[in-house]
Amino acid sequence: MLLHLLVLAPFVAAILMVATSKEDPKSSSRLAFLFALAFFGMSIANIAAGNNATEAYEWFRIPGAKGPVYYFLNSNGLAAWMVFLSTGLSLVALITARNTTCKNYRNFAIGIFALMGAMNGTFLAADAVLFFFFFEAMVIPAAVLIAGFGGKDRAKAAMTFAIYTLVGSAPMMVALWYLISQSDSSLVLSLAKTLQSLPEGAQIAILVSFLLAFMVKTPIFPFHGWQAISYSEAPAPLSAILTGAMSKAGVFGFIAWVLPIITLSESVLSILSTMMWLGLVTAVYGALMALRATDGKKLLAFSSMGHLGLAVAGVFSLSEAMLPAVLVLLVAHGISAGAQFLLMGIAERMTGTRELDKLGALSRVTPVFGTLFGFVAILALAIPGTAGFVGEFTVLMSLWDMGPAPALVAGLCIILSAAYMLRFVQKVIFGEQKCEVTGTRMTALEGSSIGIMGVLLLVFGMHPAFITNALHLFDEQVIETMVKLTEEKSAAVDASEELGEEGAAPSSIPGVETENDEKISELKSNLAAEGLSEEEIASIIQQIHEMEAEIAAEDAVEGGNK
Amino acid sequence: MLQPMYIQILALVIFTIGLIVAVSRRNIFFVLMGVELALNAVNLSFVGFAKTLPSDMSITGQIVPLFTIAVAAAEACVGLAMVIMIFRNRESVDSNDFTNLKG
Amino acid sequence: MTNLPLWFIPLFPLIGCIVLGAIALISSGSKKGPSEGIVGALSVLFPALAFVSVVLLSFNMPEGGIRSTLCNWIDIPMFNVDIGFLFDSLSRIMLLFVTGIGTLIAMYSLGYMHGDRGFARFFAYINLFLFSMIVLVLSDSLLFTFLGWEGVGLCSYLLIGFWNHDVNNCKAANKAFIVNRVGDIGFLLGMLLLMTIGGSNILNYDALNAFINMIMGSAENANIVVLILSIAGICFFIGCTGKSAQIPLLTWLPDAMAGPTPVSALIHAATMVTSGVYLLARLSTMFVHLTAVLHIIVIIGMLTAFWAAVAGLFQNDIKKVLAYSTVSQLGYMFMASGAAAFDASIFHVFTHAFFKAALFLGAGAVIHSLAGEQDMRKMGGLLKKTPVTACVMIFAFLAIIGIPGFSGFWSKDLILERLYMMDWVVPVEFTIPLFNLHYSFEILMNQVVYVVGLLTAVITAVYMSRLIILTFFGSYRGSKESEAHIHEAPATMLIPMVILAFGAVFAGYFWADSMGIKYFEESLAPVVGAAQAVIHHSEAHVGAAVFAGLGTLAALLGMGIAWAKYGKARIPAAKGSSAPQGKMATWTFFWDYVHGVVITVVNAIAWVVDSCVDKLVQFAQWLVGGIAEILGDGAASFQVRKVRLQIALSIAGVAALVIVVLLTGGLI
Repeated sequence: MLLHLLVLAPFVAAILMVATSKEDPKSSSRLAFLFALAFFGMSIANIAAGNNATEAYEWFRIPGAKGPVYYFLNSNGLAAWMVFLSTGLSLVALITARNTTCKNYRNFAIGIFALMGAMNGTFLAADAVLFFFFFEAMVIPAAVLIAGFGGKDRAKAAMTFAIYTLVGSAPMMVALWYLISQSDSSLVLSLAKTLQSLPEGAQIAILVSFLLAFMVKTPIFPFHGWQAISYSEAPAPLSAILTGAMSKAGVFGFIAWVLPIITLSESVLSILSTMMWLGLVTAVYGALMALRATDGKKLLAFSSMGHLGLAVAGVFSLSEAMLPAVLVLLVAHGISAGAQFLLMGIAERMTGTRELDKLGALSRVTPVFGTLFGFVAILALAIPGTAGFVGEFTVLMSLWDMGPAPALVAGLCIILSAAYMLRFVQKVIFGEQKCEVTGTRMTALEGSSIGIMGVLLLVFGMHPAFITNALHLFDEQVIETMVKLTEEKSAAVDASEELGEEGAAPSSIPGVETENDEKISELKSNLAAEGLSEEEIASIIQQIHEMEAEIAAEDAVEGGNK
Repeated sequence: MLQPMYIQILALVIFTIGLIVAVSRRNIFFVLMGVELALNAVNLSFVGFAKTLPSDMSITGQIVPLFTIAVAAAEACVGLAMVIMIFRNRESVDSNDFTNLKG
Repeated sequence: MTNLPLWFIPLFPLIGCIVLGAIALISSGSKKGPSEGIVGALSVLFPALAFVSVVLLSFNMPEGGIRSTLCNWIDIPMFNVDIGFLFDSLSRIMLLFVTGIGTLIAMYSLGYMHGDRGFARFFAYINLFLFSMIVLVLSDSLLFTFLGWEGVGLCSYLLIGFWNHDVNNCKAANKAFIVNRVGDIGFLLGMLLLMTIGGSNILNYDALNAFINMIMGSAENANIVVLILSIAGICFFIGCTGKSAQIPLLTWLPDAMAGPTPVSALIHAATMVTSGVYLLARLSTMFVHLTAVLHIIVIIGMLTAFWAAVAGLFQNDIKKVLAYSTVSQLGYMFMASGAAAFDASIFHVFTHAFFKAALFLGAGAVIHSLAGEQDMRKMGGLLKKTPVTACVMIFAFLAIIGIPGFSGFWSKDLILERLYMMDWVVPVEFTIPLFNLHYSFEILMNQVVYVVGLLTAVITAVYMSRLIILTFFGSYRGSKESEAHIHEAPATMLIPMVILAFGAVFAGYFWADSMGIKYFEESLAPVVGAAQAVIHHSEAHVGAAVFAGLGTLAALLGMGIAWAKYGKARIPAAKGSSAPQGKMATWTFFWDYVHGVVITVVNAIAWVVDSCVDKLVQFAQWLVGGIAEILGDGAASFQVRKVRLQIALSIAGVAALVIVVLLTGGLI
């Protein structure tokens, strides 16, 4: 129920917001706060509820696919925290947007709710097609919001953003279609099974097209062209959501939809290590670009890019500690980058500029804002004791598993991040006063909500167990459900094949097939309970499959001899 | 007795006239009228074919033109309204002047 | 009171930081600012409480120390670290003077910062610093130490840039933080290296010591482990060079003098900068097995001590002289650590904390009385006008140059003696082919290091005497109006100074070797004694009296040179900035140039990335967009202008379809 609410209720909220007055931001903002607060509460309840899943409803059938598309939501530790980010950042964004986009606040809120629903759907979907549906759906409200509420260059920014992300995921769509046309259903287990049965060339093509979509979304180095312009032109509250929650969809995709379905053959491994290096290149690139940025929001955009590059590098280090490490890094980055974008937005509102050279001395003019700005910037520096440190250090540790070179590069990024962040702080809140504060100052509500984000970072930094505890991507119940659905499907297919005049292949006897699958599912859940990672489970299961195939072949040979 | 074939030939002739009018005239009203003519030719063809069926079934064929007439009426309404709007904006009824769709 | 929980010690300054930070934040909007009385009382109270709890714990400390684990910190696969505290004789000594001097300096700052708009903020930072420093010293694992390690760096950043309306202060602060960050990465990599050989448990000091003893006991695969440990040791040492301002990461410390003087005294002289020495002592069990790393440490320490001493000669700014002197003294401490005399190095940390803090506070009082003047060329003759300050500084001066009886004498003498007793011989062998000459001899490195150390002591005496002469003797060289305003500092400033001056005189008697008092050595023995016993020392052929005599001679010689050069001569009037010029600048700023090269390279790469690579990406983006646009235009050109033609074409299309269907009899 909670999951349905988290995914569907934001859309309902968006529709309800239409009913509020367009001219009166006061009343519409109150309603929006209430909704956003409710969603935030739900996301916390969802974290507290642990792994849970809904029933799998059949949604529709894609022509050419063997199985139906399910409306099937599943929340695990990773997804629950991503939902936490999306709802939490939306809440704070709606609070700060009250003074930033006074005009037409209603429409802004509608867009934010639609975006939130799509993001929650992306993180919670257990069906690949459903995931892809929401993954694409995210782009539309975001692009509309950029085009409607952005800065001077907003039309270009919205265009670039929409085209980049939509085109980026087009190959993934084709690959996904091909995959589900081969497999029993579009659930992750059957996708994995199907992918492993394909020839290696096809596997790699599918892998690369999946990676491409997520690389554009994250963004990773050569595909980052949309990022700086969209983040800087978007209204600051939206930028906070984009970087804090939406860009996480890319990393989430790597973890939840790429790693579980691949087999670790040699060529795949080489692609994955290339991805790790691309992540590191992105990290260095983002840091260097941030060093030279003259626009505050662009600096933050590149800084986000650097951090996410580090996270992606961590993901593809494939170390055992990877998952909690990356999750902590993502949560920390989501909160700190979000808070920084919001603060930069407030600075822009107060002074009317976001050029670093025109800002300065805000800590003297508005001391509370200055303190908060410095505080959040320090938290973003990954000082030990903050969540950022736990994330960066553990990611560094994961990279260390791959050898000293990746860890050294990551260390370089950490140094550079200190350099650009301190420069940023110095330019914005210290030094001589160069601009008048004319706009609306930071309100108490804004200040306290951003302050709470900062305190959360400290809490997670001293006690990351909040995040890392009970982090299992696939719990037994969900795997059982998936296996059941797949079995029903394959049994039906087998039955129809037997009925068909062409005649089923003699080897496919439904009873044996399901028996094996049951055993494998049991094995899988046992292995997961023992704390093995998905890759290991997948490789073990593949070995079993190979052994079975060998035995079958021997049997056949013996039968032939007799 | 009227041969069904004659009705079809008449329908074909009217349809061809309608097409020729629609293609050859530059005045947008004539284009519209040509389209109407072609539509009515099709109606006629329907009725003609309906005549070939046994009388208890021929009613099926005669109902379809009724629908078509209703749709055509709606289409004429919308079409004329559009033409009037275009005329107001463009001060012209020459279809060669209408090149907005080129992009 | 032995059952006082250890986490109380860092808790007090933490509460202080939060309370004072809240006061600073709430009052930031008001015109007048918070009441200095309340803020001042709070800001001294919390460090004092920490000091009291340290003292209480110290009296009843069992031989092996107190260990307590507070809770779990990070628990993920492959990595499990607890938050725990370790209170043994090493952390006891460090804590005693950290909290003690911290309290005194907080008290001093009450007077120094009087009337400043950021009064409460300043003390919030000071309390945060004490919290971090206590965590650094008290933690029982490397990772938790690292929390304090970066925490003190952060506080250093905040306090150097305390007067942030001046961009130069901000830049000095940024420099300090970034240079420290470079070192911190070394620390991080060191931890990672340790973890590769022993898992995350090994980050705990006790576990690390046990592991090392086990490995060294079973000489099987010790070689590869020693190699990894050596690299880890170098990484940790890089961390130390950052925090303790050694070559090559030392440029931030002189710039750090931009902060308020009490900060310079507390952070950049007495406590934070010595944390590198503390870390080496803490890891002594590991380092004693890494002879190569120890040799590197000695060389780096020696070079730093000598270089900084010479640079100190050229400075005109009173705080800069003290800054370079701090770097130089830190060099001594590292030399001692490199000679595996960890107890001697900690002893020098201890005495140095007193006399250097006294010197800085004295300098602060001088600056305070001269209304912010820092250029020594504009001082002079202050002995009569500010006698208490002058006495404090002169006592501390006698301590630092090593006059017998004062604290610096005991510790410096000890270090030089230990350096001489090092067992380190470098065989040199080379042939000159043309003349067929074959040379082979041995460099007795212990003697080389000893001589350089002694030479540095002479230079130390010269620049310190110069400071004292220029400041307190002769006649006043500033303007007439400013002369009238010269006044002695208030009591809140004088009392801490006097207490520290007492320390500067008497702190050395905890380990007066030649008088047979070895209290300090004995108390540190449980921590570093076993480790130091591993290292083989050469027998000292020279009596202790000779070392003491040579050391005293060096001090007197230096004083004599300084007196001859600056005592009578006219001091040239100050013109321009107080920064050294010409060749002096080349020497002083050599490492700044080196850093400048690195920064330029990074900036150049950033420039290339920004204006070439990124433009290339944008070009590719534009290219793809352009191609798409051209294709789109091409497709649009099929859209001919004429409506009638369009209709005709579609009719033709239908006709063509019909014909195709008729001819082929349908496609299906």
